[in-house]
Amino acid sequence: MQTRRPAGGLESEVLAALWAADRPLTPGEVSDAVGGELAYTTVQTILTRLHRKGAVVREQAGRAHAYRPVIDDAGLAAQRMRAMLDRGGDHAAVLTRFVGTLTPDDEATLAKLLGAPAPAPPGDRPADEVDS
Amino acid sequence: MHASVYLPLFIAGLFGLTAPRLALRLPPAAATWLLSVGGLIAAAGAAASLTLLGFTLVAQAQPLAESGHWSITALRHEDPVLAPVAAASIVAVLVLAVRFITAGVRRACALLAAHRLASGLPPVGQELAVLDDPAPRAFAVPGRPGRIAMSTGLLRMLRRDQRRAVLAHERSHLSHRHHLHQTAAVLAAAANPLLYRLPAAVALSVERWADEDAAVTCDRRSVVEALTGIATDTGARRSGVILAAGANDVQRRVRALQAPVARLSIWRVALLVGLLVVAVVAVREAAQDTERLFELAQAAYRSAHR
Repeated sequence: MQTRRPAGGLESEVLAALWAADRPLTPGEVSDAVGGELAYTTVQTILTRLHRKGAVVREQAGRAHAYRPVIDDAGLAAQRMRAMLDRGGDHAAVLTRFVGTLTPDDEATLAKLLGAPAPAPPGDRPADEVDS
Repeated sequence: MHASVYLPLFIAGLFGLTAPRLALRLPPAAATWLLSVGGLIAAAGAAASLTLLGFTLVAQAQPLAESGHWSITALRHEDPVLAPVAAASIVAVLVLAVRFITAGVRRACALLAAHRLASGLPPVGQELAVLDDPAPRAFAVPGRPGRIAMSTGLLRMLRRDQRRAVLAHERSHLSHRHHLHQTAAVLAAAANPLLYRLPAAVALSVERWADEDAAVTCDRRSVVEALTGIATDTGARRSGVILAAGANDVQRRVRALQAPVARLSIWRVALLVGLLVVAVVAVREAAQDTERLFELAQAAYRSAHR
């Protein structure tokens, strides 16, 4: 089989593979699902990028991470907020102003989320960390 | 005015009839360009003919003749165009202009809506947009950048090579701007009903084009299988500028994919291009005839007002 791919197409293929699966996939499984000829590190890089953009969420699966795609209204809004934040430059300043506009109810929700020991269910909040 | 003024009308009819058939036997990229740009030229030629025919009657109106300094009597006497023919041409020009403008506005609205959709589909910033829909659907949404939409139902149904084929197919629609070719065909058909077959012919030929591009990414059989998979979906979305994979003439496309690759036949191309060249030359000829007619009428006006 030929393997000619456009430069930006790999993210689409990985995303398509994640959607095609009925469970979260580890980078190795993604590599298989996309086509075995892709290097593990390439898949890892793409998954990290997708995660940073909020297109997938990550769960712990043994020693590796497993990824699954995100799509719902809340996830979409979160992605947009994330994108705006990335465009804004100074995160602290943007977040300070943003929190300043929240209603007391929203503030309470936010405080609860940040103070809660257990993380919110995946998919309900934006991907808020970047792979190290 | 000679018979040349009627020639572009005849050619528009001939092009509208033969081009869709001939295009099926050409490589899809060449076929698409010939149909879309050729259709616009054929429509423009016919519109120019009708305008020239109608103008000889319009010019007989008193105020226009006064300001143009030509003699109405001379015009009526020298003009070989029958008044009913000229009158029918005027009506046709007006009706077709309205059709053309309406189609243009509708098309522009559809393109704008597609652009908005392209920037709004989740996940934002990603080429692939996934629709949570059990029905197998895939389409390309033109925009900046364009997006590829696939339903979850389709993604779960396809094998990995088929997924790649569908992605490549939709990407081909976007990168070759197939929606603009379709727009050209729709406008040509609006401007001239003789070209009514062009939109369907262009739709089929851009699908073939995208199929061929998909067949470069993976083998032909995968493309065919993916195609027939999507084709079973009866609810395939076909609104305006959004190009849906599998919506168009799947059987013909499968046959085209399985047949040996169409060769670029110089004769078929030359026939279509030749028709268009004749139309353009005929319009030029008719315009010169008209100019001569008015020069005569102006000379008559001058001698009458001396």
